[in-house]
Amino acid sequence: MTGFRSLTRRSLVAGAAAATALALPRAVAQAQPRGYDLLPQEVAAGLWMITGAPESFARSNGGAIVNIVLLASAEGAIIIDTGSTARMGAEIRAFADQRLGGVARVINTHHHPDHWFGNIAFADRPILALPATGDLCRRSAPDYAASLYALLGPWMAGTTPTPPGQRIESDELVIGGRTLRLLALSGHSAADLVVQDVQTGVLIAGDLLFLDRAPSFPDADVARWLRALDRLAGLETSGVVPGHGPFHRSGAALAQTRQYLELTRDRLDQAAALGLSPVEAMAAGPAPAFRALGANPEEYIRTVAQRWADHERTALPVIGGL
Amino acid sequence: MGALLTDRLPGGAQPVLQARTGRAAVGGDAFDSGMWPLHREAHLGPGAPWRQDPAVMVLAPLSAEDSAHVPFVIDATALAGPVGRIVVTIDYSPFSKALTFHPGRALPFLGFGVKYETAGALRASVQAGPDQIWHVGAAYVSALGGGCSAPAVSHARPDWQRGFGEMRARLWPDSGRLRLCIRHPQDTGLADGIPAHHLTSLALHDAQGAEIARLDLHEPVEENPSFTFLLPPHLAAEPVTLHAQDTMGNRLSGRVEPST
Repeated sequence: MTGFRSLTRRSLVAGAAAATALALPRAVAQAQPRGYDLLPQEVAAGLWMITGAPESFARSNGGAIVNIVLLASAEGAIIIDTGSTARMGAEIRAFADQRLGGVARVINTHHHPDHWFGNIAFADRPILALPATGDLCRRSAPDYAASLYALLGPWMAGTTPTPPGQRIESDELVIGGRTLRLLALSGHSAADLVVQDVQTGVLIAGDLLFLDRAPSFPDADVARWLRALDRLAGLETSGVVPGHGPFHRSGAALAQTRQYLELTRDRLDQAAALGLSPVEAMAAGPAPAFRALGANPEEYIRTVAQRWADHERTALPVIGGL
Repeated sequence: MGALLTDRLPGGAQPVLQARTGRAAVGGDAFDSGMWPLHREAHLGPGAPWRQDPAVMVLAPLSAEDSAHVPFVIDATALAGPVGRIVVTIDYSPFSKALTFHPGRALPFLGFGVKYETAGALRASVQAGPDQIWHVGAAYVSALGGGCSAPAVSHARPDWQRGFGEMRARLWPDSGRLRLCIRHPQDTGLADGIPAHHLTSLALHDAQGAEIARLDLHEPVEENPSFTFLLPPHLAAEPVTLHAQDTMGNRLSGRVEPST
């Protein structure tokens, strides 16, 4: 771990900030150097996981809200998702270089920026994704970059969107003696890649699964997403890495994600059928069972903004026109 | 929560979004700050008497997830006395006036969505009471912007004119709600090569053809706009006809029957 965690600098900075926070203007007090001190944990043999904060993007977390997996192989690490910023990517790479013999391949599970904006740190290595994911990354990069620079500020320094350059068109990859089964699904986004590590049996589910953190719906097709969950339910696994939330060896993420999707869909259908406006549906908050979930109510409010029209369209008949 | 239906959803009696008043309603500055003095002169009339009033509730999300569709509800049903116009302005929009609502025989309650060009407050100025002074409420929305100057999404599709003008609506006699969506690109004229093309008016008529309420609309209203009205029971029990016009002389109309 030598050099990976910049403990000295971090504790110095923390001490300095504590001493001066009251005296300095807010903007100055917040301008701390940018380090995440990501801590990979080996949750299965040769399978390392960095667990993201169960939150939305915020300056307080620097965008470190997503789960990252590093698989050890004879050729070096296989990295699944790279985080939200160049700095996150650099810290992940430093761990792979120092502990796992370098980087063999990078895989992005889908096009949302918390999963691939760290790619810049791996620009010299092959970065793989489903064909549709590459296209979506290229198309959405400017908007995502503008949003994340606004939300994360200095944490984004040096983050140039670097879309995956290689297309995944097979259902299996063998890298450095490690076999990965690949499943191309959709529902959370138009292209959601699920990876199963054959050696350990662990499923790396991307954002088709969430646990103890509210699912996000910007590109969701709930009916497809539920069908994708049916596919995942049919797989034999020894453990699950959800896109957001803790590693676990039960069906908890599958059950919770399914229930969240169904209750949220039903809630918005009900709101539209009762004649609520989208603001009222937002104000009512998430379904009571999910009020306290990580990233709620913000994530639920975003979901209403993103998906309201889908629900209202079915509630309102055509009554006229030109 | 006034006339809001939030509590019809499980858990909704404890809302997670509440209208704000005073400084908080306009982003932390004094209420009488920013563009407001200028907008007031321009849109309410020179020297028009006004005051901020918590009885004018403006509800919106704290930040805009989509700057092209920022939803609002204005509820002025708690105001005493007859209500005249409700003028809706946006502090830092290139088009400062979004719409004017003449509630007429409807209640002073309106749901709508606007485009947001940058973070700022939307203000509802309600002319009310025996002296008809302006009662003002506001909601500050944090937004990344680009709502007004971005081209309408519909222009990305070659068949955008298909379905143009389509009206979808429903009228709930039990709650008096009327919810309406209109397919219209609502072009601001700020996007390169696309001239302004937006709705200018929308009127609600009763079964006898007499006007219930009217909206004067401007560019900041969202693409494919949607509106919520609140009608008194006797009007919500009868069919309502809707008439809209746009800058190109198109006339849209529809008729909505009460349904449960």
